Amino acid sequence: MALQTEPHKMGMGPGFWPVTIGLTLLGIVSGILIGILPLDYLLPSSSLNVTDRGADIDFLFRFMSIIGNAIFVYVTGFVIYFAIAFRRRKHEPIESIGVQIHDLPALEFWWSIIPTVILCVLAIMSIRVWYLVQYGTGAPAFAVEVIGHQYNFEFRYPGLDRGIYNEMHLPLGRPVRVLVTSVDVLHSFWVPEFRLKADTVPGLVQNLNFTPQVAGTYLIECTEFCGVNHSFMQAKLIVEPQAKFNAWLDAQKKTAAVAAAPAASVAPSGSLALAGDAAAGKTSFKQKCSSCHKAEASDPEQDGPDLEHVFTNKAHPTLVNGQSVSPAHVAALIESGYKGSGPEAMPSAQQTGASAKDIANLTAYLASLK
Amino acid sequence: MSGVSTRDLPVPALARTGLLSWIATTDHKRIGIMYMVTAFAFFFVAGIMAMLIRAQLAQPNQSIVTSHTYSQLFTLHGTAMIFFFVVPFAFGLANFLVPLQIGAPDMAFPRLNAFTYWIFLLGALTVMSGAATNGGAAASGWFAYVPLSGIKISSGLGQDFWILGILMASISSILTSINLITTVFIYRAPGMTMWRIPIFTWEMVATALLVLMAFPALTADLGMLLIDRRFGGHFFDPAAGGSAVLYQHLFWFFGHPEVYIMILPYFGVVTEIVSTFSRKPVFGYVGMVLAAFAIAGLSMGVWAHHMFTTGAVSDPFFSAVSFLIAVPTGIKFFNWIGTMWRGSISLTTPMLFAVGFLLNFLNGGITGVMVASPPIDFHAEDSYFLVSHFHYVIGGGSLFAIFAALFFWFPKIFGVKLNEYWGKVCFAFEFIGFNLTFFPMYFLGVMGMPRRVYTYPNLPGWGSLNALATLGAAIMAVGVIIFVVNVIVSAIRRAPVPDDPWGGFTLEWATTSPPPAHNFDRLPPIRSERPVFDLRQSDLGSQRKR
Repeated sequence: MALQTEPHKMGMGPGFWPVTIGLTLLGIVSGILIGILPLDYLLPSSSLNVTDRGADIDFLFRFMSIIGNAIFVYVTGFVIYFAIAFRRRKHEPIESIGVQIHDLPALEFWWSIIPTVILCVLAIMSIRVWYLVQYGTGAPAFAVEVIGHQYNFEFRYPGLDRGIYNEMHLPLGRPVRVLVTSVDVLHSFWVPEFRLKADTVPGLVQNLNFTPQVAGTYLIECTEFCGVNHSFMQAKLIVEPQAKFNAWLDAQKKTAAVAAAPAASVAPSGSLALAGDAAAGKTSFKQKCSSCHKAEASDPEQDGPDLEHVFTNKAHPTLVNGQSVSPAHVAALIESGYKGSGPEAMPSAQQTGASAKDIANLTAYLASLK
Repeated sequence: MSGVSTRDLPVPALARTGLLSWIATTDHKRIGIMYMVTAFAFFFVAGIMAMLIRAQLAQPNQSIVTSHTYSQLFTLHGTAMIFFFVVPFAFGLANFLVPLQIGAPDMAFPRLNAFTYWIFLLGALTVMSGAATNGGAAASGWFAYVPLSGIKISSGLGQDFWILGILMASISSILTSINLITTVFIYRAPGMTMWRIPIFTWEMVATALLVLMAFPALTADLGMLLIDRRFGGHFFDPAAGGSAVLYQHLFWFFGHPEVYIMILPYFGVVTEIVSTFSRKPVFGYVGMVLAAFAIAGLSMGVWAHHMFTTGAVSDPFFSAVSFLIAVPTGIKFFNWIGTMWRGSISLTTPMLFAVGFLLNFLNGGITGVMVASPPIDFHAEDSYFLVSHFHYVIGGGSLFAIFAALFFWFPKIFGVKLNEYWGKVCFAFEFIGFNLTFFPMYFLGVMGMPRRVYTYPNLPGWGSLNALATLGAAIMAVGVIIFVVNVIVSAIRRAPVPDDPWGGFTLEWATTSPPPAHNFDRLPPIRSERPVFDLRQSDLGSQRKR
């Protein structure tokens, strides 16, 4: 075509290299700005080290923002530049056409390979940080349970046999495990300043492990739509020094003791004294145990030990802790929970929220499976 | 198109004109138009809902609508935009264009084609009519997660209407896909080999294959939900051995490919438009097709990245595959830029919307790569960061491509060209309004604003960023009104327009505008993916010789 001699269709295009250099500089400068922009502005009262993992997640976020920004600057820049540089000029006839290039295999090869390499690097960095988030925190000093309710967060602490609603306290600088579940619909436990989130799913317990490193009061939000009052499902998280935390927990225990006084005779080991109801135990079993244990032939296989005929099974004459299979030992095991040498563990009654009555019912139910 | 074609004869006189001719039609063009008009009607409905949502969120602690109404609004906004606008519009456009682009007289199964339209309309009306039931329309989100959508919490009929309506719409999509694939494989004109099919048609083949793989998971999931709700099933009830996570697996096994079902057709639209207005062939045609199928294939293996925060999936695997999907998407981007390179570019309204698509979709694609990273997702999931991300993909991407398609093919479909000046004004309003609405949401998400909240506390910056977003939404609404006025005024004026006003490349431009019932009186020789371009160039060449 004769029209290919139009000057603005020669070579890479008019001003290609100055534009490329300009875009590169813009990408670098804006990348540096993103790198040093304080995130504190976006998340007030936060700092990079608000938990042991916050800095890792923020670094990843900034790094990917810088790479993404550079790609955005280049692609946007070239789209706009080409749209202007290669526009049909007024003097060109309406039927003028561009340079009829169908493909350039070498170019296509490199623009497939280079993004693949960049994405692999990003994936490896992400999975590394993910690993740290999942397994990087030391052995937890203790576990707090978070139970989602429409529309409240309930927090349960070891040694406290009632839930605290919508106020969570954590000791400063102690690794903690937060066990998250729900009793009704899906919710999500999100502490924006911690960059951590876990959905509360009924029938499933998942955990978050981290160490709070800055004292303060933080906002906990529900971030999975859970019904009409979803937007009001919020709680307070108070991170305070160990001594203050202990004082708070003791005060809660005293209140709990007063509140629980009428039922004092049924407290912990009182469960044996209660006559268990096997039918009620079956219901409790479905709610609290069946995600790990199988009890009846019709139940699905689970990861935890099979509890079918647990009282009569000759193949397993003892419980997992080595004790003989008696109602008292079974009840004690349900109450105390169990931590083996591997990753598997059974939560305690305090953690599962099983009352003394529940334990008696569960024992009666298991005993009924002969 | 004088004279009576033999193809016109079997149609009874009664069904040739008037309303009945539309109700009884099996003509792919009319069905395509009905799809697109219906889809656009739902775009208005869902758009008005979006305006109410933005009004409610304009300032902290407002109560312009009640919380229950708000839940219904965002449920129906998402449902209508996804199931009744973006997807059916693509199928409508494909219905109209695919037979024309491959030189066929109609779709392979014309009556099945009519059935898919009517069952889609019935499904859409069923979902919407939930609003007239006692408890109101479905209010558990477009994803209808259990247990919220279960009978204990959502006891109203609205949720059942929603399930039945979506089931009908998904059956419609499955049948349309079978029809499209058959048409492309069997009904191509002589000379139209697979490697000469226009990119839009290729993208529709990839889309249809994805629909066939993904939608059955949705129908199964909703069928199980219906059984749980009304017939005492326990599929999703953890207390009876079911699993709430199972619902999510099935839903996202459909839901993530669905994202590509909503974007692949519009990749095709943008490819055709960028190529036409750059006066150049599609750069890397083969790469473009392979990338579409790579995206379709990979998109089947990333669903659980929607579930990172449930703690019930393998984060590293789903993260890695999600990252990889950016490679073929990137290839498409570079090919679009390559198509513009050394072209002879006219910035017409369709081209402006296509460029707008490129910039917005790029934005959504980059943040999509970010949230593919589980640690970032732990912060961003279910926050406004996510809201912004997918609106950049579907709103800034698909919606802009829909406008581009409307301006580009309007003369072909109706024989009327839309006003270019007001088209460009519409683009300016949409582009500025869109970015003003959704860019602030990235910051709101990082600052900790959760999704689907009815209102929010007056935290520093939240009020002003939300006000900015609402302002942007209002600007978008003005742009849509300008578009509607443009359509009405252009239709009344009916300025004379040639059959091929843009200098198109593909076969739909080889017939009259609008095309006759049988599509083509004669086809030009098909020797490349641009037969009309080839024809024009050889005509120009012979003129010059003379």
